[in-house]
Amino acid sequence: MTVYSALIVAVVFASGTFLLLQRDLTRVVVGIILVSNSAVLFIISAGLSRGVAPILPLEGEGASDPLVQAMALTALVIGFGVAALLLAMVYRLYATHGTVDLEEIAAAELREAKALEREDDPEREEVPEAEQDPGEGTG
Amino acid sequence: MTTLAVLLPLALALLAAPAALLAGVLRPGLAAWVGAVFALLAFGTTLWAWLSGGGVVDVAWVPSWDVRFEVALDGLATLYALLATGIGFAVLVYSSRYLPLHLEHQERPASDGNGFYFFVLLFMGSMVGLAVAQDLVLIFVFWDLTAVASYFLIGFDRQDPDSRASALMALLVTGVTAVLLLIGALLLYAAHGTFSVPELVERVGPGPLLTVSGGLISISGLAKSAQVPLHFWLPRAMAAPTPVSAYLHSAAMVAAGVLLIGRVYPLLQESEFLLDFLLVVGLFSMAVGGALALTRDVLKQLLAYSTIAQYGLVVAMYGLGGPYGAGGAAFYVLAHAIAKSALFLTAGAVTEATGGDRLSRLGGLGRRMTLLATSSGLAAATLVSLPLTVGFFADEFFFASVLERGPQFVVLAVMGTAMTFAYAWRFWAGIFLGERRTDPRSIPRLLVAPVVVLGVIGLLGGLFTRPFEVLAEAAGLASFGEATPLDASYHAEILPEYLMALGTYALGVVLIVSRSLWTPAALAVSRLGKAIGPERLYRLGVHGLNALSDAVHRLEIQNLRARIAFVLMPTAVLVGAGVLVTPMRGAYRVGALRADEAPLMLAMLAVAVAAVTTTLVRRHVTLALVLSGSGFVLAVVYAFHGAPNVVLVAVLVETMLTLLLVATFRLIPYRVLHRQAGLPPVRMTRKVLVSVAAGAFTFVVVWGALSQPPAGESVAEEHVRLTPDAHAKNVVTATLADFRGLDTLGEITVVALVLLGVGTLIGASPARETVGVPQPAARAVMRGIARLLYLPTFVVAAAVLVKGFVQTGDGFSAGMIAALGVVLRYMAFGHENAKNLPAARHAVAFSFAGLLVALGVAAAPLFLGEPVLTHFPRAGTEPVHLGTVEVMTAVLFDLGVFFLVFGFAVGLVKFFARTISQREAADPETLPREGEA
Repeated sequence: MTVYSALIVAVVFASGTFLLLQRDLTRVVVGIILVSNSAVLFIISAGLSRGVAPILPLEGEGASDPLVQAMALTALVIGFGVAALLLAMVYRLYATHGTVDLEEIAAAELREAKALEREDDPEREEVPEAEQDPGEGTG
Repeated sequence: MTTLAVLLPLALALLAAPAALLAGVLRPGLAAWVGAVFALLAFGTTLWAWLSGGGVVDVAWVPSWDVRFEVALDGLATLYALLATGIGFAVLVYSSRYLPLHLEHQERPASDGNGFYFFVLLFMGSMVGLAVAQDLVLIFVFWDLTAVASYFLIGFDRQDPDSRASALMALLVTGVTAVLLLIGALLLYAAHGTFSVPELVERVGPGPLLTVSGGLISISGLAKSAQVPLHFWLPRAMAAPTPVSAYLHSAAMVAAGVLLIGRVYPLLQESEFLLDFLLVVGLFSMAVGGALALTRDVLKQLLAYSTIAQYGLVVAMYGLGGPYGAGGAAFYVLAHAIAKSALFLTAGAVTEATGGDRLSRLGGLGRRMTLLATSSGLAAATLVSLPLTVGFFADEFFFASVLERGPQFVVLAVMGTAMTFAYAWRFWAGIFLGERRTDPRSIPRLLVAPVVVLGVIGLLGGLFTRPFEVLAEAAGLASFGEATPLDASYHAEILPEYLMALGTYALGVVLIVSRSLWTPAALAVSRLGKAIGPERLYRLGVHGLNALSDAVHRLEIQNLRARIAFVLMPTAVLVGAGVLVTPMRGAYRVGALRADEAPLMLAMLAVAVAAVTTTLVRRHVTLALVLSGSGFVLAVVYAFHGAPNVVLVAVLVETMLTLLLVATFRLIPYRVLHRQAGLPPVRMTRKVLVSVAAGAFTFVVVWGALSQPPAGESVAEEHVRLTPDAHAKNVVTATLADFRGLDTLGEITVVALVLLGVGTLIGASPARETVGVPQPAARAVMRGIARLLYLPTFVVAAAVLVKGFVQTGDGFSAGMIAALGVVLRYMAFGHENAKNLPAARHAVAFSFAGLLVALGVAAAPLFLGEPVLTHFPRAGTEPVHLGTVEVMTAVLFDLGVFFLVFGFAVGLVKFFARTISQREAADPETLPREGEA
């Protein structure tokens, strides 16, 4: 059973990794969801005991490890939050760049960064005229 | 009594900023006056406290680091605290009339003034704090606080890029050098085990350590006092509104530098090298500042360079040492603050009246503005130390201390003060004498009154010198370590100091009349400084850093995957090394297989198959469905693991996630997604190889981890044992709300922030909301169901919440269930209809109210002297019953989680639905048609 659980966790993780490597940002998000799923499965599998639900009174039989369940719950919720944020981000990127292709977005951002650099920056060199004396004083 | 004597002025000064802000929010005109009242109170209490003998407070602050909150009101502290609050009062009164005019010129709302007063008063508070602080770390804290306040004040005209660049320059120069102060303090601490200045004075002897640490501390002080070569930020800081300049130059910021030197002077004077260093820097600053002040045309620029020169004189006095040096320096700071703030305020008033800020465009205003001309004449006389003003004695003490050193210093001193004479004349005569070039408007009296008061104080100080003498002597005692008798009285005999003063006046007059002879030379110095000076180095440095940051940024967005690889590869290498060094023997166990586990194994297999399938499907909706299928089967796996809580949450999360995924695919036009799906596979072999390697890696690590046998009594068993004490039956819920409540607190904070993030990303611009497109009639059945189920979902949620402690469920799943009712309404009725539901309208508020409740329950025990997240009733005591419901704080905590999650889920759906509805209204063509996606 131990090796079997490890195998399943690894397969889910590998699938997630494969999707992470795609250009399509929506697939990247799906990949992250899969990776977090594999993590939750790992946490649950790491329980030291497996039996009935850990709800008192426990009559004789061994209960499942409650600690990993609490941790899995936390992991599930955070994974969900991250996925929601990423989906919103993907839409936002589409709205600004008109594409969900990672490489096209990178190219567009690069263009913007270069355009920004060309603009005047406040740290420019010239001396404000205000500081120079016109040469004809009143003193 | 002595405790109060030091804490009362400090508390008043520190409270001034928030009080003024509060007053300003209520009524914008009130901020200046509330601030002025606080400044006056702080001034009065400081004076009272000093006269009643001062005081010391010394309590542990961070005991493990030996950092103490050690403050004392000695002579030095009194002098600077009186300056900060007294000049602060004058500046605030002036600002109450000046700032509305300034904001009007800038076309900014009057409410922007609140921030101005807040930071001016924060400046004042941190200056008072800096004055009384005796612990080097505490000094550092107030030191940086003044830098922060100055940043916001110099950059107050934030629409002006020059103003912003100047603020940044001041912050960088003084902030970076502040780190040197910290390093110096740490060096001293490492050697002597204390940060307290009085204790260090007793323990430290001369030696290389003192020279290095004292040198570092002096450099940060010199940078703050704008001494050459770190002076260039000060003329730039003139971008600030004039009252700020007046304050910055006389009583705050620049004064803070010499205050620090005065504070650690007992240490510095142990080292001859450091004294010589101060002397050289001070004399050099006098020369550079004076020469440049003679060339400047803009009023405030002239005054700025003059400040550099005058603080150079103070630093030089500290460098000369002796009773006249240390005590005289304090006296000089006092006289200079009065004169310089008055001159700055004059410049502001003149500019306000005429619109001109250059000497070349001003002149002849003396007849029209007699009062201002007279008062600022007194201030200028104080600055150039004419007899009968307090400035006269300031220069006497300087001359007295150079006379002790030798004739070459006498010559340098006279040359320096003669330049002061010349540019002060240039300033005053340029404005008020000569031919009139502009016609001044009448200006509010409060723009003149502070100048009058300050000018008169300068004059009175020259006639009744005793208060100044006593204050400076006390400050000198604190710096020098022994009494520094200062004799500020006029003598009938001819003293050498008088001869030097006469020499100064004579040389000053020569400078004034021979102006056309030396002007080209002075301008050449100015140009040379521009070309190769430290300001250029600063700019090159800032540009270089910017370029470096741009280059890194470009690299990062150019190849995102390579960046991720840079993060992941080292992780993989480290974990791999860990796997390799772990002994293989007995580390991996296959584990027994039992026949009754077959269903579980089958479910896990289904999860794996679904996961692999996601990598093969092309269409996006199929992808979403396969992913959610995999998630639901995972819930079944959790069920086999005996985890009903996890099952409940997993099912709910999966439902919401599927909805969000489909919503995203609906938001992004079909053609965009379709193009992605149709792209030819690129570098497929490499991607497959990388994924397989990652999978293999995970397999080894997970297998190894799962094979570890349990060690001793597990935490889980302890949790099971403690659950009855928490008045619970469900161990998992008790763990979440009680035993590991801090985890939950962190988790829900993340959730609340995610909601804010999603709201910022896609929830913006509700103004663009338009009438939605008509909904198809086929939804009638769904609408019926949605109406029918709306209230029952809340009932179920309430039951899950209340029963969570004895049965399956907790605040999180209850919140999700309650949200589902709202989500169903959204799906059936569309955004236009559902957005008016109370839950939808106030989703974010719900969420943060829940976070507040949870944080409140967590923090409340602190006030009862208990650790965070202690729940009541305690173990063993019987909870109060409300019907069949037990009243417990753990349930209240869960209630907070419930509201947070409810608001979170509803908010997410609302933001997505609103975006969809906006896009539908804006451009129906771009959206996928029904059934096409």
